[in-house]
Amino acid sequence: MRHDANSLRRKNAPLVLAERARAAPDAVAFRSKHLGIYRERTWRDYASLVERCARALAALGLAAGDRVALMGDACEEWMLCDLAAQALGAVTYGIYPTASAAEVEYQMRDGGASIFVAEDQEYVDRLLPLLARLPAVRWIVVIDDAAMFAYDDPRLQRYGRLLEGAAPAPDPAGALAQLAARVPPEAPAFIVYTSGTSGHPKGALVPHGRHLAGAFNLVTHYPTLAEKAHRTVVFLPLCHVLGRDVAITLPLVSQLVPHFGEDLADLPQTLFEVAPTALFAVPRYLQKFASQVLVGISGTATIKRAAYGLAARIGRAHARRRWEGETRAASALAYRLARAAVFRPLLNKLGLDRLELVLAGGAAVPPETAALWQVWGVNVCEMYGQTETAGAIIAGQRGPFPRPGDVGTVPAGWEVRLGAGDEILVRSPDLFDGYWNDRGATDAVLDADGWLHTGDVGAWADGRLRIVDRARDFIVTAGGKTLSPSYIENALRASPYVAEAVVFGHGRKYVTALLEIDYDTVSDWARAHGAAYTGFTSLAQHAAVERLLQGEIERANAQLARVEQVKRFRILPKALDPEEEGEPVTPTRKVKRRLMYERFETLVESMYDDAEERLVAAAAGGLLHQ
Amino acid sequence: MPFASGYFRTSYARELRLVDTRAQAASLTVFLAALGAFPFVASSFLLDLANQFFLASIGAVALMLLTGYAGQVSLGHAGLLAAGAFTVGILVKEANAPFWVTLPAAAGVGALLGVVFGLPSLRLRGLYLAVSTLALYFVVHYVGSEYETERGFSTGIIVDPPALGPLVVSDARAWYFVLLAAAAATVVLALNLLRSRSGRAWRAIRDHETVAEALGIGVPAYKLAAFVVSSMLTAVAGALFAYYRGFVSIEAFSLFLSIQYVAMVIIGGMGSILGALLGAAFVTLFPYAIEALIEVLPTPERYANLVFAVNYAAFGLVMVAFLLFEPEGLVGIWRRVRDWFVLWPFRQRPLAGTK
Repeated sequence: MRHDANSLRRKNAPLVLAERARAAPDAVAFRSKHLGIYRERTWRDYASLVERCARALAALGLAAGDRVALMGDACEEWMLCDLAAQALGAVTYGIYPTASAAEVEYQMRDGGASIFVAEDQEYVDRLLPLLARLPAVRWIVVIDDAAMFAYDDPRLQRYGRLLEGAAPAPDPAGALAQLAARVPPEAPAFIVYTSGTSGHPKGALVPHGRHLAGAFNLVTHYPTLAEKAHRTVVFLPLCHVLGRDVAITLPLVSQLVPHFGEDLADLPQTLFEVAPTALFAVPRYLQKFASQVLVGISGTATIKRAAYGLAARIGRAHARRRWEGETRAASALAYRLARAAVFRPLLNKLGLDRLELVLAGGAAVPPETAALWQVWGVNVCEMYGQTETAGAIIAGQRGPFPRPGDVGTVPAGWEVRLGAGDEILVRSPDLFDGYWNDRGATDAVLDADGWLHTGDVGAWADGRLRIVDRARDFIVTAGGKTLSPSYIENALRASPYVAEAVVFGHGRKYVTALLEIDYDTVSDWARAHGAAYTGFTSLAQHAAVERLLQGEIERANAQLARVEQVKRFRILPKALDPEEEGEPVTPTRKVKRRLMYERFETLVESMYDDAEERLVAAAAGGLLHQ
Repeated sequence: MPFASGYFRTSYARELRLVDTRAQAASLTVFLAALGAFPFVASSFLLDLANQFFLASIGAVALMLLTGYAGQVSLGHAGLLAAGAFTVGILVKEANAPFWVTLPAAAGVGALLGVVFGLPSLRLRGLYLAVSTLALYFVVHYVGSEYETERGFSTGIIVDPPALGPLVVSDARAWYFVLLAAAAATVVLALNLLRSRSGRAWRAIRDHETVAEALGIGVPAYKLAAFVVSSMLTAVAGALFAYYRGFVSIEAFSLFLSIQYVAMVIIGGMGSILGALLGAAFVTLFPYAIEALIEVLPTPERYANLVFAVNYAAFGLVMVAFLLFEPEGLVGIWRRVRDWFVLWPFRQRPLAGTK
């Protein structure tokens, strides 16, 4: 089925689903693993389930304009409930599975959901203590009721039982189309709460038609998604706009077939079994997988390590030539051998050997990470979008195998220019509606001419957009040098042993960093090197680990300008946990620098030796007070 | 779990396939083709070796089910082989019965003996069980030799080759295919038993009897079942042995034969059907290898009378060496070699989640 942005803008997602169910009823729409088996759902099954779920939700009193909140990891039922609510004209929004109690309460109150859909008992437990303060909640729908035997709140409903109550319709596609036809395309479809690094999250309200048309710019930018069937694995949370694109929207308007694992914790196994051909990832996952591979290689047999070393050398040379567009037959042949002998088997162990396209977004991709994957032969393209662009991308590297460091070109039909202070401005008919219940915030980012102010600073390089810094986050050192902390942090995070790095140095003489160790890789390293530890804290404070990270810092410093180099560092004694109240990290694991400083002030201060200042102050102070 | 990525099952029927991945199907095809071509290129000596191996592998797989999976030690294996062979011999001699009567009869006798052999296992474990099976071996051995002497076959019983109408299985090539089919059927039966309820129950009993019982497994019934299945297969192997050799004599079923079968299971690797096959091959070929080694020596004729002694001694040494240095047996070596290649370029699977 061929789509285009103009026709999609006049539709809604349940309607497109009904059309697909009519056009290709027996084609597989998605697969979801249940008790060891990937259940295949055809488009007809999909439409039927959504239609039945919609009837069940309507029976609970859900009406157009009501809000439905969903919380949990990505799963088939989330998607079904979401589309069912949309088909009734209700507005859905997801809450991060790692959100803290205060955040859950804030988003429940702000969104005003009347139905809360919980993936399992864990999320019911998160909501129940807050219920007394949330009068708007009428029903709690539990998807997986495995541990629900001792609960007797009258508002609890089981998803399975609700669905049983709605018998399959004889013509599900027709019934769904009828239902969806009553929902105007310009009505709001869902809210996505942006995990701002400061203050409360804001809910971006996105209408049906514009979301479909906007997300379709991914398909026009990456036509392979529509040209051939691609398998992908859903692991990003569906409350994130990228997660929604991958699991729900793109499969409707392209040939992407999403696969849901049994449990998010089994992601490595799911990837291995599915062997996806297209993957959408946030950089953290790419980094994590890459560092696991590197640690695995460093611990392998000498001959295997030597083979990898040789292949990596060939791969790096080839990648460089490929970026420069001057591949030679000899090097291409050598690379093909290296790929067949080393990289393909290596990727096969992760289930990533059949990837044709990896789209990385959601945060800045460290160029080293993208480069490494390209050396292995994985086509990693960086894309850049915002929640406010309603599921569309602002720019994306077309590839194949683009040189890392920029975010590529702007999709057809979208306008991007640099405004005051080189801020990136975007204009398109398919932007979001505005922030939910926050006129002021909307006006601050959406100007009268329809330009969206992203807050990110960009630059053009040969027609490609480069992100200079996200959200204007600069450090001005005591020496007056303006530095980009995210650039330095990315260099630090390129180490497989560093999970998170936060750089300080505003108004200081030199740059310092707080590091969170990657528990998996560092504990592997510690075991291999005979360093004894009992847990995270004892590992983080181990002298050998400190020496290890010292080496990693030195390696990162080698690629940094002198003023950017990290002079001192401290290792956080505990892991950052977004679920904990007041932790300086958002549910998407973006680190809040200011909170980080407040929380670990003594650690940061201990890195700055102020003896010089005291000496000067002592000398000058006496003078001033005379 | 397959070694290669990209195999996801969309139905339980797919999960149940014995041959799952393309690589498995390809290697199995090549292997079967090689097995089919072997008798047409091999010498009669090699053909006889292969037939001996097939016979041994049936017995070894049967013992592996009992010892390697259900954890019940048995030193009576030679007695069961003898029971199968003598069932054939007696029925042929006394009733001139055809093979389609004698083989099921041998299986029946084996099953019956399995119950008898298995009864002590309900009370005894480990060494005590081994000794009780040993006692039963001597009972069977005694009955066999008594029959021979009482009926005047003290040199042995001649058994005619089995025939179905005009089809007579007499030459080595025909025997090759018959024994190959029997061995293959045994392996498939064992593999299917092992991934079904009984196989899981056996493993649970082996690992911890009390826990198995607490899990609701009927321990006595499954123990007896293990003995019955194992004894039945072994008796059939004995019956085939009688037909293949065309001759039954109690001399062939010495205690050393029991030890050899236990050696197959240990050298092959406990708890693995592949191990049973590797062990059977090793033990079958071992004496020939020793002989060949002696042939290589400068003056082999001077050691000719030593071959037997050297053989026994070397066998003992090899067995002790395996117990000491490679408790996982040949299959352990095979797994290490295979993993070295399969996990290339890693040492272990990366990402702990991928099992």
